[in-house]
Amino acid sequence: MEQFQGELIDRVFDRGICVKCGACVGLCPYFRYFDGIVAVMDRCVAGTGRCVQVCPRAGYKSTAPQENATDGNGIGIYRSVFKARASVDTLHEGVQYGGVVTALLAYGIENSFFGGAIVTDREGALAPSGMLAESVTDIARCAGSRYSAAGSLAVFNKAIKDGKGNLAVVGLPCQMEALERMKHSIPDGAQRESAVSLRIGIFCTWALDYRMLKDFLRANGVTGAVKKYDIPPPPSEKFVVFTEQGRREFPLMEIRGLVQKGCSLCRDMTAEHADISIGTVEGEEQWNTVVLRTEKGEAFFEEALNKNIVEKAQLPDQNLNHLSTASRNKRKRGKNAELELSREG
Amino acid sequence: MNELFEIKGGDERLLQGNEAIARGALEAGVRFCAGYPGNPSSEILETLAEAAKELPIYAEWSINEKVALEAAAAASFAGLRAIVSMKQNGVNVVSDFLTNLTLSGTGGGLVLVTCDDPGGISSTNEEDARLFAKLSDVPLLEPATPQEALEMTKWAFELSERIKNIVILRSVSRLSHTRANVLLGSIPPYENRAFFDTKSPFHTFPVLTKHLGRHRKLDEAMAHYEGSSFSRYDGPERAEMLVISSGSSWNYAAEAVEILGLTERIGVLKLGMTWPLPVNILRRYLKYSERIFFVEELDPFVEEGVKALCAELASEVGIKEFYGRSSGHIPICGELSPSVILGVLGDIFSISWRAEEYRARMKSLLPQPSPPREFGFCPGCPHRGTYYAIKEALAWDGRNGFVSGDIGCYSMGIWPTGFSQVKSVHAMGSGVGLASGYGKLGQFGFDQPVITVCGDSTFFHAAITALINARFNNSDILLLVLDNSATAMTGFQPHPGTGSTAMGEKVEPVDIETVCRSLGVGVEVGDPYDMEHTAETIYRLMQEAGQRVLILKRKCALVQGRQGGFPYTMRVDQQKCLGEDCGCGRYCTRIFRCPGLIWDSSVKKARIDEVICVGCGICASACPSEAIIRQQKAPN
Ligand SMILES: Cc1cc2nc3c(=O)[nH]c(=O)nc-3n(C[C@H](O)[C@H](O)[C@H](O)COP(=O)(O)OP(=O)(O)OC[C@H]3O[C@@H](n4cnc5c(N)ncnc54)[C@H](O)[C@@H]3O)c2cc1C
Ligand code: SF4
Ligand code: SF4
Ligand code: SF4
Ligand code: SF4
Repeated sequence: MEQFQGELIDRVFDRGICVKCGACVGLCPYFRYFDGIVAVMDRCVAGTGRCVQVCPRAGYKSTAPQENATDGNGIGIYRSVFKARASVDTLHEGVQYGGVVTALLAYGIENSFFGGAIVTDREGALAPSGMLAESVTDIARCAGSRYSAAGSLAVFNKAIKDGKGNLAVVGLPCQMEALERMKHSIPDGAQRESAVSLRIGIFCTWALDYRMLKDFLRANGVTGAVKKYDIPPPPSEKFVVFTEQGRREFPLMEIRGLVQKGCSLCRDMTAEHADISIGTVEGEEQWNTVVLRTEKGEAFFEEALNKNIVEKAQLPDQNLNHLSTASRNKRKRGKNAELELSREG
Repeated sequence: MNELFEIKGGDERLLQGNEAIARGALEAGVRFCAGYPGNPSSEILETLAEAAKELPIYAEWSINEKVALEAAAAASFAGLRAIVSMKQNGVNVVSDFLTNLTLSGTGGGLVLVTCDDPGGISSTNEEDARLFAKLSDVPLLEPATPQEALEMTKWAFELSERIKNIVILRSVSRLSHTRANVLLGSIPPYENRAFFDTKSPFHTFPVLTKHLGRHRKLDEAMAHYEGSSFSRYDGPERAEMLVISSGSSWNYAAEAVEILGLTERIGVLKLGMTWPLPVNILRRYLKYSERIFFVEELDPFVEEGVKALCAELASEVGIKEFYGRSSGHIPICGELSPSVILGVLGDIFSISWRAEEYRARMKSLLPQPSPPREFGFCPGCPHRGTYYAIKEALAWDGRNGFVSGDIGCYSMGIWPTGFSQVKSVHAMGSGVGLASGYGKLGQFGFDQPVITVCGDSTFFHAAITALINARFNNSDILLLVLDNSATAMTGFQPHPGTGSTAMGEKVEPVDIETVCRSLGVGVEVGDPYDMEHTAETIYRLMQEAGQRVLILKRKCALVQGRQGGFPYTMRVDQQKCLGEDCGCGRYCTRIFRCPGLIWDSSVKKARIDEVICVGCGICASACPSEAIIRQQKAPN
């Protein structure tokens, strides 16, 4: 496969499978993340295109080295898995579930484990987008999940361009994959990788297309910025939004039509390329499922645990089994979708 | 005093065709002059406006051509001699009034000058405005040389007054912009006697009577012309071919016949009035040859008229063989030149006219040819910033939006210099009218956003009515008024927004923002140099419905250049420049394309062309690598 921008356009944009991870954005003037989409601004002629190399959807070289090794449990290589939550003192307002992500980030920043964290900000006049958080205030303001993809790696690229290093990156599985690809990209992948201190992946089944979501909400009388989104764990089958006007509930079925096309190709539910992966715990909204995958992730988490930033408990077998099944199912769906796409040509 | 405006004539001066027309009008004692700028006509009114500073005459740039003729007709109705000038497109704008005016008739001599642009060199179309003379039954004059332009203009006023109707004088680019020695006549004394005689009103009723009268005036014009000296025949009484030509193409025909040594074999007839065709003159010369070759710019206007006449006079003048546009000898469009005529005659008479030698000679007479250049905005041009912002906003929007363009420098938005964002361009104001239509297509499933652009001058000319239409019919329209405080494309003539008139009088400018606000449409103002912010504004406005106007204000770079210049000295830090590498891919010279930036292929880096770059600084924000450095110029 050629490493030209045109290849990325053919394989990803023209097929409508960009998942707005933002990895190709901010490397050059040719891509921009703006109000929920990644736009191709102009045609590029440079070779050795980093955009193609880093894209989790372009299929440049083989992906997901962990996938085959872990067909068994579906959640990738890990050292331990359990449930955890932010301790009372570190629980920030507006966190999605157990608040572990926010608590870890705040701890890391405060104690200079990293200089900044790439997180995803709330929406305003425009869609949610990435943010380089350099203080606990910044981190706290970005707590909670935006269920649309927000291109936050664009901010990571910009931070590197601005000479920043020692960064924690919070991202969806596709974004963790993009970081992995970046590590192997030429000419400067290794150098860019060295700016990453910690990768916190968040579980993901799918992400919504922001503009479709916006149109849907508008059609249903919801205008103005959404303050919080929630998908309460199964079997609720609901999608909840909180706005200035109050709380609104929609059947999850209706929302599924707004999922970005590229998500159907994704085989990774638990962010296998992260140092630490964090998700929800079915039936226990105050907790997070935490998967420690690397030595680095483990060491950092242990620190936080020792400092009483977070508390942990055993994840019931039943939950782990559910998670495995859900992950394996996602992997299967992704494989099938890819086959279908390759048939479409 | 400008010697062009000397009262006493008698001297020869080197004049441009358009100046000769203006001088002719002065020698006819013209008092009221109006026009709308447009190549190749602009210098006529410019010259008269200069004259108005020294002589007791009035000149104005009108808001559009129709108003220009209306204003001039008022002077005519009050008994004054008046002239209006415009390019061919302007005659279209004028035509509604024209076809009525020619029924009502005129008072003081009234002359409409149209300067046609064969080849569409500086126009959106190629059009033969002569057809309007036929359409509205008025005399049409076609001068061939600057001297004749002067004489004929003068004579046109006489003719107009004699038949009490407007007369059209048609020039073409080559005549308007050629220079030759012209013998000046004198300017008559001025007396003020403007008066509208309420006993003889000007209107078109009863229509049939007036229509009949219009035809009678044509007959009168023909008779009067036939007694003039504007026709000319050179050649034998029995000719192998008769060339019938008009206007500047007569020069080409005469030159070709001479170069080919055919003066004894071919007769060349020059017609000064081409509508109505001078029947008696034609009757006489048509007998000279069986073969008729028509040489005229653009449409087969004389050609068709003479063919019809030949049919009528067949028993008298005999059967003819015709050469011209319908025979395929002359190309159906494009500008004529001596070499076209040389080619045709050379073929017919089997004379090798040594095209190569001719071209080589032509070349040797010309100064160093200028290097080929693509259409582009000037360095520092605010339109570059505007289109860059539009490009960004449309890409961010992602719904396949486009720009409905209009007439001005910014029409170049169809080319890479404007990032090829403009997808339609027609007539003055039409981009806005089109947008008003697109804005009602939502009900038919049309969901592409449309941005329409118009310049400040165009806004007043015809865009404003389209905007009101959008407001009236509640159309979803986003209009960007590219306010560069100039009618830049045609040479910086003043317009209602500039605060001064053609004669240099200071007036309160008409403020576009206030005008738009008074219509009750949403109005914002932005700076095209602030590309990112402007793009965000455009994007935001694109998401809204209703009528939205964004006025992008920045002086035309040429005006700014004269009024204080630009703030920066620019350079490219080649250490930082990424060149062709991933991360840039020659962005500044390949995409941004200001001519002030050049690609230095020896080192594969960009650099600033100090001669071209004016130092506006906007390219700095386009460079992904902060390699384009702006340095504040020291205040002088
Ligand atoms: C699109 C999406 C889909 C998800 N799907 C699932 C799922 O199927 N199963 C599951 O168990 N968990 C899912 N999650 C994760 C879950 O919502 C929580 O983010 C996670 O459990 C961490 O909870 P927390 O209380 O620690 O979060 P918090 O402490 O509130 O921290 C959440 C962090 O996520 C970041 N973030 C918010 N929105 C985005 C975004 N769009 N992209 C990248 N980062 C973002 C925020 O900046 C913040 O740092 C999903 C999250 C997202 C954004
Ligand atoms: S990442 Fe590199 S190859 Fe891709 S578009 Fe940007 S400059 Fe071109
Ligand atoms: S998936 Fe990510 S890297 Fe690929 S095109 Fe979309 S934003 Fe760019
Ligand atoms: S845009 Fe900047 S980096 Fe790219 S070629 Fe121009 S000066 Fe160099
Ligand atoms: S500063 Fe840049 S954009 Fe402005 S004239 Fe110079 S090269 Fe062109």
